[in-house]
Amino acid sequence: MDDIEKLKTENKKLTDIIAAKSDVISIGAHQLRTSLTALKWILKMFSDNDLGTLTDEQRTYIDQALTSNERMITLVSSMLAFNHTDGVTAAPKLQDVDIEQLTSDVAGGFHGETLKKNITLTTTKPAFPVSHITADPEMIRVVLECLVENAIKYSETSGKVTVTIEEKNGMIEVSVHNNGIVIGQKDKDHIFQKFFRAETVKDAQIPGSGLGLFIAQSIVQQHKGTLSFTSSTDAGTTFCVSLPVA
Amino acid sequence: MKKILIIEDDIFLQGLEAGKLQKSGYTIMSARNGAEGMQKILEPGIDLILLDLILPDYDGFEILKKIRATEATKNIPVLVFSNLSEEADVKKAKSLGSTDFMVKSNFTLDELADHIKSLIK
Repeated sequence: MDDIEKLKTENKKLTDIIAAKSDVISIGAHQLRTSLTALKWILKMFSDNDLGTLTDEQRTYIDQALTSNERMITLVSSMLAFNHTDGVTAAPKLQDVDIEQLTSDVAGGFHGETLKKNITLTTTKPAFPVSHITADPEMIRVVLECLVENAIKYSETSGKVTVTIEEKNGMIEVSVHNNGIVIGQKDKDHIFQKFFRAETVKDAQIPGSGLGLFIAQSIVQQHKGTLSFTSSTDAGTTFCVSLPVA
Repeated sequence: MKKILIIEDDIFLQGLEAGKLQKSGYTIMSARNGAEGMQKILEPGIDLILLDLILPDYDGFEILKKIRATEATKNIPVLVFSNLSEEADVKKAKSLGSTDFMVKSNFTLDELADHIKSLIK
């Protein structure tokens, strides 16, 4: 019994340490975002000639600084997402999840981002309600947010992003499609690697940390599901998360 | 001219927000902390409140509660403008009656002004 009590005490200490570190990350991220916000707004004012007309050379540097700043903002968001999933090593807290409702909530949260690029984001509901899944809803939310955010980020202005839910052979499939930047053939085998970013998005100078899909795949695998994708110039890019029915 | 109350403790950010919104044609009032915010929300003629959540004394959620609980202010649109972005914070703001929620670092000042224009036409 002594050993069990010792284990319980050690476990409580570790849980407290993890919670304290998580708080430090959350607070740190908030402070970082405050400074990055100020920098973003000022750089944008320079870029828009609100503070006087820039020379070509000045504009080049200001635009590079803006891109770099956006990359930092994205990295902070990724840190927060990673923090939220307990570093993707903790066991999911399983419960009954209505995937249709969760998907709808996630899509609704991107209203502002779709307005910025005039993107049409559509969620296609299945003809009949799909079965629920047994999952950690906050972890699955992270997965869906990653896929929708990427679809919007890599879409052209005025593009379309479509989210579809289907039930097939005991699995619930949520697919997110866009007709924007395509993943090149040589990058397809690496797309889920930590910190990997495809050449096409680096060439387009779209900021990103390379952590989102790595985290998403880890979560889906923990839930005994799969995360797959197709990407071509003709058909666009579709990411599909497939999870077992409860 | 429509009137906006900015409740934001970071003086630099507050100045940038006020400057942009004044150029966009709004009259601006501002508060630097929760106590000041709690008083200024009661001033007449406010068309929108731009509300930060992390303030040195009260948090923005308490101010939002008061806005919705007060007869004179309960229908004023409240745009929560914060660098908190956790789902729990967004849900809490919504449940307390926020009109919308924007994460500051995700938007430029132009996008803020455009969104406010859509909220108080």
